[in-house]
Amino acid sequence: MMEFIESKTWIEWLLTIAKLALAFIPVLFILLLIPMERRGAGFIQDRQGPNRSYIKIPFFGKIRAFGWIQNCCDGLKLFFKELYEPKNVHKVLFSLAPAIPFGLTLLTPCVLPYFASLNFTFGDTVVHIPAANVDTDIGILLMFGLSSLSVFGTVLSGWASKSKFPLLGALRATATSISYEVCLGLSMMGMVLLAGTFNVEGIVSWQENHVWGIFVQPVAFFCFLLSAIAETGRPPFDVSEGDPELVAGYHLEYGAMQFGMFYMGEYGHVGINSILMATLFLGGYSIPFMTTADVQANFGGVLAALFGICAFLALAFLHMVYRWLREFNKGKASNKDEINKEYLLYKIIAWVAVPVFIALAIASGLFLHPEATMVNGAPVYGIGTALGTAAVQFLVLMVKTVFFCWVWIWVRWTLPRFRYDQIMHLGWKILLNIALLNLVVTAVIAKLVMGGN
Amino acid sequence: MSNHYNMPHLPTAKSPRVTIEVDGQNVEVPGDTNLLEALKAVGIETPHVCYHPYLPVSGNCRQCLVETEGPRGKALIISCFTPVKEGMKISTPRSSERVKNARAAVSEFMLLNHPLDCPICDKAGECTLQENYVEAGKDTSRLFPEVGKNYHGNPDHQFYDTKGQLRGGKRVDIGPRIFLDEERCVQCDRCVRFMRDVAGDEQLQLALRADKTYITTFPGRKLDHEYDLCVTDVCPTGAMTAKYFRFQQRVWMLSRTATISMDDSLGANIWLDHNNGYIWRVMPRCNPEVNRTWISNTSRLAFQQFTKDRLPVGNLDALKKALEGEGKIAFVLGGSATNEDAAALKTLVNKLGNRAEVFVGTFAPVGTPDGLSKSGDPVANRAGFALFGFTQTAEDLAKRASEFKTLVSLSADLWGSDASKAKALEVISDRISISAKNDETAKKSSTVYGVNHWSEVSGTMVNVNSILQKLNAAPTSPDAELAPLFSVLFALAGEDVTSAAIAFKKAGEFAPKLAKLSFDAIHSTGELLDGDAAV
Amino acid sequence: MVRVVKHKEMNLIERLYIFEAFRGLYTTIKHFLRGFFRYETLPTTGYPEVKPYIPRDYRAKHRMMVRPDGSPRCVACFMCASACPAHCIFIEAAQSADGRIEKKASRFEIDHSVCIFCGLCVEACPVDALRMDTCETSFVHPKRKDFIVNLTDLTSWNPKDYPDDPQSQVAPGGTQNKQALEVWGEVKC
Repeated sequence: MMEFIESKTWIEWLLTIAKLALAFIPVLFILLLIPMERRGAGFIQDRQGPNRSYIKIPFFGKIRAFGWIQNCCDGLKLFFKELYEPKNVHKVLFSLAPAIPFGLTLLTPCVLPYFASLNFTFGDTVVHIPAANVDTDIGILLMFGLSSLSVFGTVLSGWASKSKFPLLGALRATATSISYEVCLGLSMMGMVLLAGTFNVEGIVSWQENHVWGIFVQPVAFFCFLLSAIAETGRPPFDVSEGDPELVAGYHLEYGAMQFGMFYMGEYGHVGINSILMATLFLGGYSIPFMTTADVQANFGGVLAALFGICAFLALAFLHMVYRWLREFNKGKASNKDEINKEYLLYKIIAWVAVPVFIALAIASGLFLHPEATMVNGAPVYGIGTALGTAAVQFLVLMVKTVFFCWVWIWVRWTLPRFRYDQIMHLGWKILLNIALLNLVVTAVIAKLVMGGN
Repeated sequence: MSNHYNMPHLPTAKSPRVTIEVDGQNVEVPGDTNLLEALKAVGIETPHVCYHPYLPVSGNCRQCLVETEGPRGKALIISCFTPVKEGMKISTPRSSERVKNARAAVSEFMLLNHPLDCPICDKAGECTLQENYVEAGKDTSRLFPEVGKNYHGNPDHQFYDTKGQLRGGKRVDIGPRIFLDEERCVQCDRCVRFMRDVAGDEQLQLALRADKTYITTFPGRKLDHEYDLCVTDVCPTGAMTAKYFRFQQRVWMLSRTATISMDDSLGANIWLDHNNGYIWRVMPRCNPEVNRTWISNTSRLAFQQFTKDRLPVGNLDALKKALEGEGKIAFVLGGSATNEDAAALKTLVNKLGNRAEVFVGTFAPVGTPDGLSKSGDPVANRAGFALFGFTQTAEDLAKRASEFKTLVSLSADLWGSDASKAKALEVISDRISISAKNDETAKKSSTVYGVNHWSEVSGTMVNVNSILQKLNAAPTSPDAELAPLFSVLFALAGEDVTSAAIAFKKAGEFAPKLAKLSFDAIHSTGELLDGDAAV
Repeated sequence: MVRVVKHKEMNLIERLYIFEAFRGLYTTIKHFLRGFFRYETLPTTGYPEVKPYIPRDYRAKHRMMVRPDGSPRCVACFMCASACPAHCIFIEAAQSADGRIEKKASRFEIDHSVCIFCGLCVEACPVDALRMDTCETSFVHPKRKDFIVNLTDLTSWNPKDYPDDPQSQVAPGGTQNKQALEVWGEVKC
């Protein structure tokens, strides 16, 4: 036992355990996805979206935070609602079913790297910590294996509900999910083939060193995108809960937090698939045109650029706030004082943030020059630089992921729902063939161009 | 008045038939009446304002004009004052433009200075002027707006309104129960004729002449008579309005229930006008054989007490228990009880056997007939009770009070009618009151049980002239739990009867005269019972 | 009559769906970007704070016109109550103190939770006492009985809110009130 503990230094243990927290990242996407979905839908439909929930704080009054308070309200509502179950349900399975997709949301991302492996000098030793919680060579297979399990939650909920609509919904969801996982796997195989590894970090570092996957595998990217949307069972592929036919599909009989679990599972799934897509096709955590080594070498410059962007965004935010307030104050609203006070808080925050960001940018640009130690011909930096790099990479990954999350929502509020047979037709007769063809062509070209074995 | 008026002779079933020509067609009409009634008998309504079938004909309104063809050519005549003759040639507006124009002109002339008060006039909806005007079809005014309406009546009551028009005579307090609106008056003098020739007390007069005419009382006098509210009925306009009904309801909101006033043995036919579960007014219902179109103020205003001081529903088991045991029971059946109540009581008495005796009425004195709507006897259904053999009166009971152990007063207010005479009954120890009202007798009783008032029950009564008349239930009961007296009595006798029609059938078992009739077939103006001649 | 509408045949591009889907995506992103970056140009308004424009002839909450002396114009003729298809107007009449006016309403209540805002009462009113031009459309009350407005509520409007209406200016506080009172004259009992 002691031997096992002493096999790593304390900093290694600390970071390895701290990394476990990364499992919650997809779940935390719910915080982003709910307001994004609601207000995004609103804007797409020329509405304002839900923006009226607020918390009251002294002096500034009602803080609505652009609709983000809505999350708390929804969450609290679901949390404090009474759990109930219909009369004839299978009680054990009925209660177990919602936990499966939610639990898998925590498990699935264990192989995903949110940043490059940490490699730093700590005292005399060189510490290497893999980015993913489970650093394995079959990473992506493991991930697909786990994520396929969420079908159990669906099918169990449908069956345990002892009701027709949930059962039909569960069957449809299962069929859709399984069909599209085939395409998902096949379309991803091109990237695996090019990178020559199932290890996700390996695929990312291949992209880092060569080119983003979307440029070499555009067809695969497209197939993957469609399959991923279909696999999560979101519109336009949400026949499983097609409201006009099945009311709400497999979670029809669920209420309160049991429904909330399905909901979180679904959004978590969206988050995971977005991260995966960003990782496989948009270079993951890598900053364009820079390898991890480049970032570390020019860490000060990168930070300066980052803070500069932040300052720019804060200024843009301020511009939007002022412009909107000007228009608002021209109107006849009766709550002008209230709104102006609330926005005063945002203005203060942004006005404080702008100089802070600028100062940070200048400071990091001028004064941050990390020292490197050469180990085996490669420069290795200290723990500060390593963690800083990880944070920047994490941020970059998140930006890419949020873009894909937005694609989910964008597609949902644009395209009408497909018919069930159309989904099957699309999955088995079109996407699968395209993915297969793409794989073959990729294999041939890879053999010819890259000359692999 | 120097004029001599004749009462119109109304057609009856025995009237001789004559043939006259109306609008070119020969029709057979009653021969001993006036033209207006004759035309009405064949279904031709003639508009009229001053004519009233039970008032002397005055013929002053000229609204009932028809055209006749005589030796001197065609002429307009008033149909109300022209007797029917064999072979008359009559033209109505259907065939004669002249009649139509004349009637429209009369209507227009009559409304010349009549205020446009219809929205606030209590008569609106049942106003003769409105009906005539609509029938005349003149829907545009030819009055110059700058001239406007002008009031020429009593100079003391004149004023200029906010539009600068001469108005006046609104709200003249002509008597304790009536307001007069001189402006609305069309000087038909129906009210004057009613007071003089029907009420027999000439309290109203037409003053001044021509368009300055107005109705008034003698100086220093008021319109105050037992029948004075009838002038509001005969008034064709809203000039005479009863204070009790003034502004209470609009007439089109009221529903009417035909029933009998059960406070007098003549059994005046009345309408109960109700809305929202309340009676708002009582109107006379025309019955030529009984009260014609008159009812007394007492009968008319009695409704104000109907829902006051009511007894709540009691405990039927307690009643049953009170009737058990030994000792004689005296039932006192109130005058407002129906034949059905009497039949129910008969059933109960038969069941109780020798222990029970029935007395009718209270100690209220019997008066004399006034010739209009009152016979003077406060026991309304005395003739009906006699059919069941209930003839002993409350006085008889007072003499023999010591024989009885239990007194059951059924809607009979013994103490309320004459407390000194009722004192003799206080020797009876157990006193039960089954009544609608929480009256003096109920307060003296140990057991009380609430029932429906007579205005809320269906049933029959026999009036002093042996006419069987039907009461209908107005939906004005203050408590839905209340039941009619007969169903309570039947329940005490162990039978379940809630319908008046079934109770009437049971009454036929005790009173053979009633057995020939069916409850539903009783005519609204009553049925003369066989073997009795109408007085 | 039957009108046959022929559907346009879809061409190959359209039948492929994918390009049409991208066109749809383009449309929606346009709207999204407008909402996100030009929030103030959204056609919707924050309702309770920003009131929509309501024209005068919109059938909104009732009000009772008043005479120059401030008494309600209502003569309790029951025309509105008779015309009301929802039976939501309750009137009790009484003798008016002013001798020139016979009748007045001692109680005039409209139950707005029953009212269907058809405007028949306004049409029926012979003295232009009842109007529905308040532009008040929001009826939010915690209790059912709060929806019943009485005579005081109905007459408590401000002539300044109806600057274009001469009839409203006759009311106390209006610009025409003084002249109107002179014409109206003394109250005769």
